[in-house]
Amino acid sequence: MTLGSDDSLYPIAVLIDELRNEDPALRLNSVRRLRTIALALGEERTRRELIPFLNENSDDEDEILLAMAAELGGFVSLVGGPEHAQVLLLPLETLATVDETVVRDRAAESLIAVASAMPVPALVEFFVPALQRLAGKEWTARVSATRLFTPTYARCPPEHRPDLLRAFLALTKDETPMVRRAAAQALGDFAQVVEPEPLSAELLPAFLQLTRDDQDSVRLIAVEACGPLAKVLPREAVYEHVLPVLQHFALDKSWRVRYNVAQQLPALAEVLGGEATRAELLPAFLLPPVKELAGDGNQYVRAALASVVLELAPVVGKASGDIPLGGRECSDAATIEHLLPVFLSLLKDEWAEARLNIIGKLDQVNQVIGVDLLAQSLLPAIKELAEDRNWRVRLAIISHIPLLAGQLGADFFEQKLGQQCMRWLQDTVFSVREAATNNLRSLAQEFGADWAREHVLALAGHQNYLYRITVLAAVSSLAAVVPRDTLCNAMLPTVVERAKDRVPNVRFNAAQLLERLAGLVDPPVVDQVIKPVLAELAADRDADVRFFATHALAACDDLAAMA
Amino acid sequence: MDLDAWIVQLKRCEPLKEAQVKLLCERAIEILVEEGNVQHIEAPVTICGDIHGQFYDLMELFKVGGDCPKTNYLFMGDFVDRGFHSVETFLLLLTLKVRYPDRMFLIRGNHESRQITQVYGFYDECLRKYGSANVWRYCTDVFDYLSLAALIDNSVFCVHGGLSPGIASLDQIRGIDRKQEVPHEGPMCDLLWSDPEEGVDGWGLSPRGAGFLFGPEITTQFCQTNNVDLIARAHQLVMEGYKTMFDSKLVTVWSAPNYCFRCGNVAAILSFDEALEQEFRVFEAAEGEARGVPGKQAAPDYFL
Repeated sequence: MTLGSDDSLYPIAVLIDELRNEDPALRLNSVRRLRTIALALGEERTRRELIPFLNENSDDEDEILLAMAAELGGFVSLVGGPEHAQVLLLPLETLATVDETVVRDRAAESLIAVASAMPVPALVEFFVPALQRLAGKEWTARVSATRLFTPTYARCPPEHRPDLLRAFLALTKDETPMVRRAAAQALGDFAQVVEPEPLSAELLPAFLQLTRDDQDSVRLIAVEACGPLAKVLPREAVYEHVLPVLQHFALDKSWRVRYNVAQQLPALAEVLGGEATRAELLPAFLLPPVKELAGDGNQYVRAALASVVLELAPVVGKASGDIPLGGRECSDAATIEHLLPVFLSLLKDEWAEARLNIIGKLDQVNQVIGVDLLAQSLLPAIKELAEDRNWRVRLAIISHIPLLAGQLGADFFEQKLGQQCMRWLQDTVFSVREAATNNLRSLAQEFGADWAREHVLALAGHQNYLYRITVLAAVSSLAAVVPRDTLCNAMLPTVVERAKDRVPNVRFNAAQLLERLAGLVDPPVVDQVIKPVLAELAADRDADVRFFATHALAACDDLAAMA
Repeated sequence: MDLDAWIVQLKRCEPLKEAQVKLLCERAIEILVEEGNVQHIEAPVTICGDIHGQFYDLMELFKVGGDCPKTNYLFMGDFVDRGFHSVETFLLLLTLKVRYPDRMFLIRGNHESRQITQVYGFYDECLRKYGSANVWRYCTDVFDYLSLAALIDNSVFCVHGGLSPGIASLDQIRGIDRKQEVPHEGPMCDLLWSDPEEGVDGWGLSPRGAGFLFGPEITTQFCQTNNVDLIARAHQLVMEGYKTMFDSKLVTVWSAPNYCFRCGNVAAILSFDEALEQEFRVFEAAEGEARGVPGKQAAPDYFL
């Protein structure tokens, strides 16, 4: 491959040379700029020279092959558009066969992109044979092939489909577990494009066989097809075949399989919950695995269940809603009877992640079971978590406090959790205190400024400087939401007091806060109260206090100048 | 030199440019040369033990203890070696020192040494990240200026390793010429290398091959002579993050959780409020993803 003697093409000539350079770094650089080279060569020479050249040089280092696989996915327009797209298949086919998984995956992605650009006749003439070739080559190629069926099948004329389906089914029974695993992975998507009859008659049995595979890594992935299959199979088949699989897997000896079962539950509940006639059966099918997983010996399984179990609540509630009693009480009753014990056991789980996942969805419990029951059943658990020895658990629950406060109402919240909010401000961990101060703003909006003011200012005399700084942070967080007279009459004096603190850190935090408050109070207050304090701090014996006070003074002057 | 911007950048675990490191180190030396061998520190202050390049765990430490300058800190050495991010760890601590000299204090550990860093990772890391040993040279020049010990409100003596048979009084430490590579023996070496040991009568030989083992009597004697209440030190892995010994006259603080990503220990910092009330804060390693451990690489030789 050489270019003419045109000087303007010299940089391209260098790139082409570097495609053959001994230094892999230079080859990589050149491959990453294949588009530029192809543009310079033009469509015809790209097809006739560049692509065959790449095809002959597919025995390079993985990183270079990866770049090549990625580049070729966007090459359709560079080889002359869809009618010439087939020239890209050969190099991509080769790349989809190499040992390195990352390269293969990228090549498969690019093959899908190229296929989607090809017109149907070309797809049938060139792509289908390429796919069949991949499906018959070594196992690495067969793994890549599994991913290509779904987009191909959907666009193929009906007469070519049976062959494709047969080829896919063969891969689900492949002798290599890696290929069966890839087929299991692709099965859920493939089911979405296969017609109802072959779906029930051929794909479903293949799925069931994969769920009985003796390799747990295959079963593990097969489980993930439960949800997608449930979407397209007739309801009868779901009840008869898919749900028993899930129930069976809830008892699988590998925890990773049970973990995936937990993750399939909401999708299944959603699909089946919409159907009224059989919905009453749902709890009977769905709840046993839920109860099974809630008591699982493996913490990751319980944590996975905790993150999805609340999504079942509306479905379980609805399922019982068709009983003549009807109404909300009834659906609540079903949720409470079936799911509340599960929530509560997960809320007490020894594994923090399980507890956190439940807390993360607390608003959903609230919608389903209502405030009174929330208070009775969940408050004790929340209080326990609020004092958990893992600070991230404390931090997580703080973020849900404004929501709870809104649901519980001012009196009730103050009574049950008000003290706890104050304790968080005195937490030994900085991040927890920080979250608690940020929380105050939403609480003040909920309960009014007095509530926060009384509680916060009581801490201003704490013996440890870190907590006195917390008070300043709390004032900073509240400043924008409290009425101006509360700010000037109650909060500002506290800040001025702290500006005389004997610990320099408190003094310069006060200076920083005064800078912020200056923008929120009336100009006379700035001149008469804030600036004199800052002026004193600007002559402090501590360098950092002087720095922040001087900075704040300058900001006050800017403010005055703007007004 | 936009120190505030450098701090923000370093907190993202992005190292400074070589020329910036040079400027920073020159400025740091100007500040450190003014500090004493036994640097006087006023409470309140939070003291920390070994970090060993575990950058994301240092971020965890600040989440628990509070950011500098809100909280005052004393780091008792061993900032570098063994972890994946010695460069970013030391540069962040040093930038904080230069930006807030009265809020951040650093004293020397046995790993703040040319010889040790060439074996345990810091030298290799500098070479890998900068392509030359220049940054390593700038940093090791700073090491020579770090204080050997600190004294909080005249009552808590802080040192990386421990005591030395050559040192009875704090004044003897003040008399050392510290601006040198850590020697193989003698008082300066012992301060950075010694370990306390229950059941040792007087001084014992250290299995580390440098420094000594010292028992409760030596500790009591030192505290009496120098009128201090507590010796705080780092240097030894403690599974619970901290450990008090010798009738609460000595405490070991260890601040590298899950040391070398495999020891399974928790870490601690010890905060003294303005009345010198003590409070230990225990923390665990940062989440796996946040830590960015290079995936496929085999563990380097200098791992445990």
